[in-house]
Amino acid sequence: MATRAAPAARVEPGLGLRLRRRLPGVASWALVALVLVILFGPVLMLALFSFNDSSIISLPWEGFTTRWYDEAWSNGQARDAVVNSLIVASLVTVASLVLGIMAAWGLTRLRFAGRGFAAGLHGSVLVVPWLIIGVAGLIFFSQLGVALSLQTIGLMHLVVTFPLVVAIISAGLVRFSRSLEEAAIDLGASQMQMLRYVVLPQIAPSLAAAGIFAFAWSFNNFEISFFLGGFDQTFPVWVFSILRQSENLPVVNAVSTVIAVAQVIAVFGAWRLIKRLGRRSGRGDETLSDLMTGAVR
Amino acid sequence: MESASLPVPAAPRRRWRSLLRPFAFMSAPTALLGAFFLAPMVVMLVIALQYGVLSGQSGFTLSNFGDVLSDPLYREVALTTVLIATVAMVIQLLVAVPLAYVLAFKVGRWEVPLLLFFVLADELNPMVRIYAWRMLLGREGLINTALIDLGITNAPVDALLFSKFSVILVLSTSYLTYTVIPIYAAMKAIDGNLFEAARDLGAGWATTARRVLLPLIAPGIFVALLLVYIPLFTDFASPALVGGTEGYMLGNAVQDLVLESGDLNGGAAMSMLMLGASAIFAIVAYRLTKIRQLEQ
Repeated sequence: MATRAAPAARVEPGLGLRLRRRLPGVASWALVALVLVILFGPVLMLALFSFNDSSIISLPWEGFTTRWYDEAWSNGQARDAVVNSLIVASLVTVASLVLGIMAAWGLTRLRFAGRGFAAGLHGSVLVVPWLIIGVAGLIFFSQLGVALSLQTIGLMHLVVTFPLVVAIISAGLVRFSRSLEEAAIDLGASQMQMLRYVVLPQIAPSLAAAGIFAFAWSFNNFEISFFLGGFDQTFPVWVFSILRQSENLPVVNAVSTVIAVAQVIAVFGAWRLIKRLGRRSGRGDETLSDLMTGAVR
Repeated sequence: MESASLPVPAAPRRRWRSLLRPFAFMSAPTALLGAFFLAPMVVMLVIALQYGVLSGQSGFTLSNFGDVLSDPLYREVALTTVLIATVAMVIQLLVAVPLAYVLAFKVGRWEVPLLLFFVLADELNPMVRIYAWRMLLGREGLINTALIDLGITNAPVDALLFSKFSVILVLSTSYLTYTVIPIYAAMKAIDGNLFEAARDLGAGWATTARRVLLPLIAPGIFVALLLVYIPLFTDFASPALVGGTEGYMLGNAVQDLVLESGDLNGGAAMSMLMLGASAIFAIVAYRLTKIRQLEQ
């Protein structure tokens, strides 16, 4: 249907020319609007009903209240789960960035025996489903006699997350020419100076993007946390267990709304940061689409 | 190996460095993957090949695989899974191709902000998104109450939740970002003049789409398949929360084997089979991508 929009403004004299000219534009925006409503509408409704003064989530609207937020705040399980997720995601992000930068540099800038194998190993982690990694991790730790906890969650999050950082930063490193680095060395820069003044500004947008994606991957991860948590719960596991036990609950709406708002702020904040870093390295506004297109190739 | 490719005969210090530096950068990441990615896979394979503790037998066997493969129930679940994943994938492609086209060529200065919205759609917690759909689709959910209040139906439509429909809907919306972005990336690489040339040569929109656009974005479509179909095929959170019995998928079967029945050996065997299927799919999609890229 929307491919109908393909031949933009085909010039054809006669009646209905103006309509014909505008139709592709209208169809394009209608498609975009429809998709956005389907993607975000449900979450907006969820947020709206976190303020409804009724313990069942349905119409009619019973009036405005913030009591579900009070209840969520005093709900120990909910708070523990969110705090657990924040701690794990923060640590995983830092460790993923360190390991990811090392591996990305090694894979794109150094030559050594077994480089193909190492690249394939890092890439294959991204293709193996998280369900399988969760089950394998559960079996592995139970065979070793290691108790499942937040630590096993964090460790396995790190395993699946840092290869993503490798992919994003490698794409950033491949995009700009090595001759700049060689020139810096030829002009007398030390290795550290070259990394600091030539490489870092160029890959700063990739680093920022990798950081936010790593955090989101760990924070949002359900499959691995579910299998490897034991008695410790992260936020997604908490939501899952509540929904398996009971009907929908306004408290879950309240917590979910807070999380969603934080994630919206985080994504827009990261975008502004990436834009600024991109501008500083002289590339400007295209950076986001470069990052997106670079990472998937 | 490295010293041979250097133009200048390597000084001993330099040769030492060319070995030490890769080791310094690569040892920690590779060791981590070896210990906690490869080793768990090997252990899972070994467990899948062993008799269960309860069977009273010891040693290696293929019976776990045999049990999974010969069980008619699992065969039905596998069919459901393939059906749900395939329909969700096709729906996403039908939406993503025009959407990526619009993003790449039609929205002008809104391109980057809209892209950001699709990133955001992916970053929002999946569990929150699944929960939001469940709230809308339930028997007393908002869609049913609205339908009744508007007089469109008398009784709530039960098929909205705990059905194949709800799983397909939730899965399609969950992974749309990963379907759109690779196709969008392929579109961005197209020279817009090609469309004009096709038009000047008398091609209508259908011909242009089929003969110019589709061949050029084919690699993007294969990347989208690679990124999205495997997670769709192994998803278990969405079917567990919105699927009911009708939308029960292989992921749920693994979960039930491992956590409910405690049959680690059976769960491991089924996981290995799903991993094998994913690997075959990934290799085929990857090959197709490479072939298409070479042809251009």
